Amino acid sequence: MEGYIYGSMLRELFRFRRIAPWLLVVLAVYGMSLVFQKVTSGTPQDSYVLVSATLVFRILPLAAAILSAAVVAQEIEQRTIVYLLTRPVPRWKLLLFRTLAAITVVFVLGSIVAFAASLGTAGLKNEMLVRDLKAILVGSIAYVSLFTFISLLMNRSMIVCLLFAFIWETAVPNMPGDLYLLTITGYLSSIAERPSLGQSAGGVFDALAGMLGTNSVSPTIAWAALLCLTAACLGVGCLWFSHFEYMAREDAE
Amino acid sequence: MSEALVTLDRVSRWYGQVIGLNDVTCTVGPGVTALLGMNGAGKTTMIRMITGQIRETTGRVSVCGMEPFANPEVYKRLGYCPEIDNFYEHQTGRQFVIGMARLYGFSKEKARMRTQTLLEEVGMADRCDRKIAGYSKGMRQRIKLAQAMLHDPDIILLDEPLNGLDPVGRREFMDVLKTFASMGKTIIVSSHILFEVEQMTRSIILLHRGRLLATGDLSVIREVIDKYPHRIHIETPEPRRVAERVVGLPYVLSVQMDPRGAGLEIQTRQPNEFYDSVPSMILEEDIPITSFSSPDNNLESIFKYLVEY
Repeated sequence: MEGYIYGSMLRELFRFRRIAPWLLVVLAVYGMSLVFQKVTSGTPQDSYVLVSATLVFRILPLAAAILSAAVVAQEIEQRTIVYLLTRPVPRWKLLLFRTLAAITVVFVLGSIVAFAASLGTAGLKNEMLVRDLKAILVGSIAYVSLFTFISLLMNRSMIVCLLFAFIWETAVPNMPGDLYLLTITGYLSSIAERPSLGQSAGGVFDALAGMLGTNSVSPTIAWAALLCLTAACLGVGCLWFSHFEYMAREDAE
Repeated sequence: MSEALVTLDRVSRWYGQVIGLNDVTCTVGPGVTALLGMNGAGKTTMIRMITGQIRETTGRVSVCGMEPFANPEVYKRLGYCPEIDNFYEHQTGRQFVIGMARLYGFSKEKARMRTQTLLEEVGMADRCDRKIAGYSKGMRQRIKLAQAMLHDPDIILLDEPLNGLDPVGRREFMDVLKTFASMGKTIIVSSHILFEVEQMTRSIILLHRGRLLATGDLSVIREVIDKYPHRIHIETPEPRRVAERVVGLPYVLSVQMDPRGAGLEIQTRQPNEFYDSVPSMILEEDIPITSFSSPDNNLESIFKYLVEY
């Protein structure tokens, strides 16, 4: 049963019509990383770091925001949630295994985007890529868990998730002080062991990459913080989903 | 007497300031029970509470002795055909039903076999490999019915199941219901069309504006209706000839000509006898009746009788 829930959600998320736009994104990232490599003066690794921070780690929360909507929010919007909720499956299992499937897909997409970025800059023999893949894995888990939880709390949660992914995650790491501790990307930077934080020249790309602020969190603390966030979101989310009513907005009126 | 599997005890449900169901107490046992009421009467609210999608605000709903809200044990014994017309449109009918079967815990192979059986039962076996997006309303209803009966449930809830079915489909559907009822299953069917309900069952729960208006045998309602003369409107190009013929019938109380000359309206206390005499009028005496209808044979007029008189 659990395997079916996970597998059917994977199939749903890997449907060609869903995945096709992301394939275009991968191509775009590859193209842009080639351009970055040509126009920047640093080493291929420097170019990769910039592309990774400005594109790969911006696309990751975007993919998480869009794909995590399929876990519950989209079922409610399309009113198909009734077919899931009236089956002899505990609600927490439905939520957990569908979320795990969304995490898997976001991780796969994030990894492919990172490979494309690396291919266009430093090549595939790239130490930074391995560290980024670790961060992408943790980031996929944390973002999808958080966004799925948000989708349980409110209607039209996608707007909130996208604002968080783009505005919050881009702006806050550049702010002075410890505000970066309130972002996921701050911890991901630590896990990826990103160099040159707080020492950038202050250009637009550095701002987009969140490199204007400082980051002194150790990778161990970053792992622990994001795992705690994930556990809290999944745990409370499962309880919440088991306890409250879920139906389309027009039906609830 | 058979044990009631579904019990509502002083159940109310509020949606903010609006009441969906108001202090309803009733039980439903084996056989077909119709949940009858106009749009907004509270039928779907009641079904959603029985199927554990929403909670009661006050009172207690019990299904097989258990609280139904988000209770997997209840869903093992309950099949639900919702009113909504929404599906995973990119799937085929077969894929959808197999998916539902897997969620009921069937293995891959058993799910496929059970799906095939059910699709044959609901008359969709030959069309189930097309995408649901291309299905007609009737085909969608059949697929919904198939997914509700996959696990051979003890209780089957069908929310407006006849919507969109053609006459043959309705007949077949009612036959399926009768088969299930004869197996001792508890079947609750919601409808707002009295004529439909009369063909399915005699046992009704009548809701009006969230309140339980009547419960029991359909004859209770019929008796109320039959206290008052039943109006039948007859359309004919020869209203005077028809009037001449029907005024002599012993159970016709009055005849009133349509001012537009398109027909006439009669009043009777024995509508069934009148309806029985219509074929012989047409065939034996060549009286040209193009159509007849009864303004009293709909739910609105029943509620008028029950509430106002």
